[in-house]
Amino acid sequence: MLHKLSPSQKVLAYACLILLAILILFPIYYMLTVSLKTNRDIYRVPSLLLPNPTLMNYVELLGRRGFAVNLRNSLIVAGSATAISVFISCLAAYSLVRLRYRGRTWIGRLILFSYLTPASLLFIPLAVIINRLQMGNTLQGLIFTYLTFSAPLSTWLLMGFFRNVPVDLEEQAMVDGATRLQALFRVLLPVAAPGLVAVSVFTFTGAWNELLLALIFTTSPEIRTVPVALQYLITGDVFRWGLIMAGSVVAAVPVMTLYYLSQRFVVQGLAAGAVKA
Amino acid sequence: MARPATLQPPARASRISLSKRTSLLGYALVAPVVICLLILVVYPFIFGVAISFTNREIGTEGQFVGLANFIYLSKVPSFQKAIVNTIVLVGAVQTMKLVFGLGIALLLNQAIRARQFWRGLILLPWAMPAFVAYLTWKLLYLPQGGAFNIIAVGLGFGNIDFLSRELAMPSVILASFWRGFPFWVISFLAALQSVPQEQYEAAAIDGANAWQRFRHITIPGILPVVLVVVLLSTIWTTNSFENVWLITQGGPSDATMTFPVLAYFGLQTLRIGEAAAVSVAMLPVFVMMAFVGVKLLERNQE
Repeated sequence: MLHKLSPSQKVLAYACLILLAILILFPIYYMLTVSLKTNRDIYRVPSLLLPNPTLMNYVELLGRRGFAVNLRNSLIVAGSATAISVFISCLAAYSLVRLRYRGRTWIGRLILFSYLTPASLLFIPLAVIINRLQMGNTLQGLIFTYLTFSAPLSTWLLMGFFRNVPVDLEEQAMVDGATRLQALFRVLLPVAAPGLVAVSVFTFTGAWNELLLALIFTTSPEIRTVPVALQYLITGDVFRWGLIMAGSVVAAVPVMTLYYLSQRFVVQGLAAGAVKA
Repeated sequence: MARPATLQPPARASRISLSKRTSLLGYALVAPVVICLLILVVYPFIFGVAISFTNREIGTEGQFVGLANFIYLSKVPSFQKAIVNTIVLVGAVQTMKLVFGLGIALLLNQAIRARQFWRGLILLPWAMPAFVAYLTWKLLYLPQGGAFNIIAVGLGFGNIDFLSRELAMPSVILASFWRGFPFWVISFLAALQSVPQEQYEAAAIDGANAWQRFRHITIPGILPVVLVVVLLSTIWTTNSFENVWLITQGGPSDATMTFPVLAYFGLQTLRIGEAAAVSVAMLPVFVMMAFVGVKLLERNQE
């Protein structure tokens, strides 16, 4: 529907966009300024401006508060969940897209159904299961349970990417004597690399952002992930909003950087209407 | 199966064994994911339903109590509030996302300068971790030091308690909208751009006005995407925990209590049977939506 807008329509359109930009940017701006304020400045002289910026909150967070441990935990959990999930999903997606066998449609449906099932419907029985497996309060337990959402998500997305790669290349390789697994790893995966990047980004951020399961399955402070550590700062008795916002900025920067570095693929994945919002 | 002629085995017997080997390989490759999902999704799903009919507590297996948990829940005020609140929250947030999401997508689909820039800007709230977005909105709403109160006082409205009984729900709705709308805009924009330009030109030649073009070309063109987005997002919004938990924790006095938060509180009472019943009470609606969702996604895939 691209057509030339009349001057008055143009003014209206850009006015809407600028209003939208303010709505989007203002909360982010305020989060940044509060993270750079002392407690005194936040409560005693409330202001939208930033008269005395200080890095004090960041220093306290990463130093005395030991936030580095939470960052490390989140990195281990999200990194491992992504590695495991993307690997097994590559195998599953290849199998479902390229091979024909009985029950394939139902397996595909199981994956879609799992992808649609939210963690909030499963966390109570999962808590019982994890305790029974003696994996409560461990990072391994979290990595394992994160497969509930990461494995179906990455399999589903990879199936879409694999389907778009023409089968001829792999067939040619197999004519030349390659096995199916060689065709997958040496021919298909390199061609589908952009898809792998997008899937890894989605899986990593999904695990990095997860709060509910981590809140339930971890009890000791030293194995808390970033979202859990931050939520304990707001459910405690003393609110330290400078600290909470500093933590939020530190938590948001890695995943937002990832998103913008791979924005092209992210938008493709989004356009497929296939990513949890 | 599409296989080049050179791979066609000469004898019938060996062709069967080849297809058998393909089947075996297929099962072997898909097995790790399937086993994970059986342990982590299917089993908990069934187990959760089973627990909800028992009086299980932490440390005991519990006994079958029939519908007792559900009868008890139906009389608990928090549960009744959770039903109403979940419907209000989801209804309001999804309506706003649909109206504004479509509006903004249509705006961006016009001849706008620097469309890439605007798209990147709109992605910001969605690229942010949900917990960070909701913590930030809680900060904006604070009575002391919150940005909205600084603005309200500056404009002469005095202090407004955005997290009071009356305003807590609209506050959660606005925050959920802010974090969720980019997904809709970007999906709708992609759908709009896939509608063939020629159809608009042909309609314009036939004398169709802007509304007629929108009604008869744009809407049918983007409908499949709109349906998928509405459905998936409704499932996830209904089950969203962070938005309510981080902003209000379901309060004040249950004014923003929703199903996932109530189930979480239920787990903390250690009466697992009852807590599981809260989640199971949502299942009929979820299963219906998931059924339609699977159908829609399967269709879109082809």
